[in-house]
Amino acid sequence: MQILQYLINGIALGSVYALIATGFSLIFNVLKFSNFSHGALMTLSAFSGYFIAAGNGWGLVPTILVSVLTGAAVSLFGEFVAFRRILTHNTSPVYFFVSSITLGTLYEGIVVLKVGANFYNYPRFFGKPYRIAGLFVARSDIIIFCISAAALLLLAYMIRKTKTGRALRSVSFDRDTASLMGINVTRTIQFAFIVSGALAGLAGVFLGINYTLYPTMGSIVVKGFIASVIGGLGSLPGAIIGAMLLGILETTLISIIGSGYAPVFTFVIMLVFLLVRPRGIAGSNIQEKA
Amino acid sequence: MAVLKIDNLYKSFGGVKAIRDFSLTADRGEIHGIIGPNGAGKTTIFNVISGIYPPDSGKISMNGKDITHLEQHQIALAGMGRTFQNIRLFKGLSVLDNVMCAFDPRSKYGVAGSLAPLPGRFREEKRGREFCMHFLQMVGLEKQAHEHPEGMSYGHRRRLEIARALACEPTVLLLDEPAAGLNPMEVGGLTQLILKLSNEFNFAILLIEHRLELVMNISQIIHVQNFGKTIAVGKPSEVRNDPQVIEAYLGKEDG
Amino acid sequence: MSLYSHILTQILITVVSVSGVFVLTGMTGMFSLGQAAFMAIGAYTSGILVTKLAMPIIVAWPAAVLLAVLVGLIVGLPTVRLRRDYISLVTLGFGEAITALLNRATTITGGASGLTGIPKRTTLLIAFVSAAAVVTLISFFKSSKYGRQCIAVRSDELAAKSMGINVPRVKMIAFLISVAVTAYGGCLYAFYTAYVDPTLFGWQRSAEWIIMVFFGGVNSLTGSILSTFVLSGLPEVLRFLQSYRAIIYAVLVLLVINFRPSGMLGEWELTPKHIKRLFKRPKGARAQEVD
Repeated sequence: MQILQYLINGIALGSVYALIATGFSLIFNVLKFSNFSHGALMTLSAFSGYFIAAGNGWGLVPTILVSVLTGAAVSLFGEFVAFRRILTHNTSPVYFFVSSITLGTLYEGIVVLKVGANFYNYPRFFGKPYRIAGLFVARSDIIIFCISAAALLLLAYMIRKTKTGRALRSVSFDRDTASLMGINVTRTIQFAFIVSGALAGLAGVFLGINYTLYPTMGSIVVKGFIASVIGGLGSLPGAIIGAMLLGILETTLISIIGSGYAPVFTFVIMLVFLLVRPRGIAGSNIQEKA
Repeated sequence: MAVLKIDNLYKSFGGVKAIRDFSLTADRGEIHGIIGPNGAGKTTIFNVISGIYPPDSGKISMNGKDITHLEQHQIALAGMGRTFQNIRLFKGLSVLDNVMCAFDPRSKYGVAGSLAPLPGRFREEKRGREFCMHFLQMVGLEKQAHEHPEGMSYGHRRRLEIARALACEPTVLLLDEPAAGLNPMEVGGLTQLILKLSNEFNFAILLIEHRLELVMNISQIIHVQNFGKTIAVGKPSEVRNDPQVIEAYLGKEDG
Repeated sequence: MSLYSHILTQILITVVSVSGVFVLTGMTGMFSLGQAAFMAIGAYTSGILVTKLAMPIIVAWPAAVLLAVLVGLIVGLPTVRLRRDYISLVTLGFGEAITALLNRATTITGGASGLTGIPKRTTLLIAFVSAAAVVTLISFFKSSKYGRQCIAVRSDELAAKSMGINVPRVKMIAFLISVAVTAYGGCLYAFYTAYVDPTLFGWQRSAEWIIMVFFGGVNSLTGSILSTFVLSGLPEVLRFLQSYRAIIYAVLVLLVINFRPSGMLGEWELTPKHIKRLFKRPKGARAQEVD
């Protein structure tokens, strides 16, 4: 019974990690670099959800909408100010790192300017947890899981079945060839940033519901990164599997050793994974181009 | 004994068979030309020999030593130098330092000497500089030693890549389209340079080249590749008249 | 201690850490987002050894640096063979793990309320000598065989391998040197402020160091040091800028990336030759006048 309880809590946690990991992997897939501004973007979107919607007494749905829209818009802005020139001028990919780190500093700096070091809480959107056959299932967990699953399914459908999805896949495969085939590469990359930003916004709200809102909450993005390393860097299904695995592992670990040491153990798990199977679960290892 | 011996090499990417049963035996002082239309798998042969991709099957040995499964840098240290089709010099390093990079793995001082002015460091750095300047002189770039390669002409950058490969002290030298992008006069100079190096160092040279007149003039043996397969091997004069080769290059004649 | 010597000491300690980041990021093109965690290891280890075990500083500081290097070896080992992204992701996770550890191991580290009672030993002179020594070592390193190999790896890993360069080894050496230097910066810091707590060593600090390296010039140690002085000095002098610090940094770097990607100084280095020439110039000018 206890194991089942961990499983339920783990899946709920894992679904938020999955949102983070897919948002991160999406950009990694298309541009082959790690977007380190993803965490700060979650923070910024979650706070805008608080100040525009939840703080004014609006409900869950408007809060989510505001955060998702903010995430998408800010992500698009980031693409324009930090990455566009590197792409068009074919500057060394090293600059993607610098740009994304700088953007992260910028987003977090803006949040700190507004809220200082204070903690904020979303109002309680949900009632008491359900009790089903001796198991506690928080209402928030159910809602979070359902919305996350719906968002990820929508993303999967978009990538596999739509024209934009096809464009995204061919740009991921080879930017130059895609451009020769008449695909609007810039538009496609912008689209990837919008979707990634929207996912960051959604994840931000959920993190805010699960924990509290604070300026450095973006560092939870590490869990998403670890999930995508475990799953195989750049693979979307891998990211989701890795996230679920990490969520379940973490809830189990926390119940055994307490929440304080859990980050240490998840880090050790990642190290071991890299030593044993550096390609990750999905097994696609993206090498730097020969 | 052969310097380089390649037996039955195979390599495919996904469904594309890039190399099908490639064999080659090269001796000191020989120049082997590898020709063929675009996409014939020529550069892939170089990439497999130099260890960038592992082969699917087959065996490569150099100076009698099996190098098939060695890592890229181990193969270089075992005596293989190469240049790249799309010139890959090190940005941020001077012309001389680019060449020095190929000497550095064999330079005899350690991390301590790198951080502090120990006597061994100065001795080795001086030896390295003289060693590398010698190669720069050979390719005619000694005056540009302290410039940056980004500002140099295409021809000079090609020559710098050759100097850098020479500093690996190779017994096998792989030249991947060294004449691409050069004007006819530069091609003449390059031909002379390759012959001079071959005489001086007596290593085996493998040469991929699109300019047939260049390959045909200086190679002892020509390998013609098409769709990953070797369709002809022989002296330039034999290969020139081979009907399969003519077909691969000019397309099948009608009728 | 006057305000200015206080500011100067802090800047000099930052110079030490930024020099370490210069080797890793500027020269080798690797990004460590957990670099500040190695500073934490240096600061906490030296602090604990001195306050709890009454060790002399001369033993405690090298021990702290050594521990950081050993930990760096474990963190680096799985990543140096893989593409660059991995070391960033792994070090970021490492930073979080170290922060958690420091917060949790209350009996040893003092937990969230921090480690107190560290003797104040770092003077302006010690900070200056340390910074000068580290900068000298790093500039020697840059012109050495490993320095060149680092730059080659940053520029083109594949070509570097083809020249016989053992890329994982070179990456590891660069990483460990930067770890050692940063950890030493941590020792200086702990024995200057006499107090450390886990919030000081988050990824924001690592990001700041990277920003300083890039603002100054990717391939210029001189530039990195200069930009450390400018970027960490300005907000100290102009106090009203303090709360906008992160935003100002970010905007400056975005401007540099968009309009001058090689940084303020690019590849230019100040060498002893330049300094000599600087002192000779008046003489030469006079000679010209006579002519």
